[in-house]
Amino acid sequence: MNVLKINDTEKKFESDLPATLDRLLEQLNVNAETVVAEVDGRIIERSEFDKTKLHSGQTIELIRFVPGG
Amino acid sequence: MNEFYEKLKKATVGIAGLGGLGSTVAVALARTAIGNLVIADFDTVEKSNLNRQHYFINQLGEYKTDAMIENLKQINPEVKVEGYKQKLTAENIPEVFADADIIAECFDRADQKKMLVETVLTKMERVVVVTVSGLAGYGRSNEIVTRRISNRLVVIGDGNSGTDLNLPLTAGRVWLAASHQANAIVEILVDEIIK
Repeated sequence: MNVLKINDTEKKFESDLPATLDRLLEQLNVNAETVVAEVDGRIIERSEFDKTKLHSGQTIELIRFVPGG
Repeated sequence: MNEFYEKLKKATVGIAGLGGLGSTVAVALARTAIGNLVIADFDTVEKSNLNRQHYFINQLGEYKTDAMIENLKQINPEVKVEGYKQKLTAENIPEVFADADIIAECFDRADQKKMLVETVLTKMERVVVVTVSGLAGYGRSNEIVTRRISNRLVVIGDGNSGTDLNLPLTAGRVWLAASHQANAIVEILVDEIIK
């Protein structure tokens, strides 16, 4: 069983993990243009989303921005 | 007590955007006697801003940066305020806020919020960013929370209530989020940033 810890909640994947961060955001229906992502405490720039491979056990923080200020 | 005010006096806080969040954070930090503020906004004061932003009728049409410098002088002339009127971009943010210990993200648009946070975290060493996501609407005061994501990132808000959901921006709820920002900034300056 593959597991990712996303925003403090463990998410289990029955089959393979999404290969990259880009794919994970797609699966979660999160717009990559309005999210800041950290993988194991390291900030990932938008341009690296499709190159960032995911592995079981990683901790992912997704900060989704909504408008208003 | 003296040590508390000494630390704040030496501090520099950047405020990116001077709308409902930014104008409130600026006023709160000036009243708290933060030594140095760097404020940035390219916009002018409009009538529709007055329901929640700290400007006055006689300032309509002025650059928010200029209007805020005037207002801060009236509140606390001891605070040194630097103003920037150019649009903030991933390229100029590290320069504009080069002296900042902490930056308050006070933009309106979601993609701009993301841009600023990403820029600070990837291009500026040691600088802390205090950002907001989810402050629109009214009521639900206790859903606005401060979360420390990492050493350099604080996220405030309910994470969900955006103006894209057709929710209004109301003074009370916007100020709640801005007060969380100002409060988190003071806490980090006093407890963590040693000068």
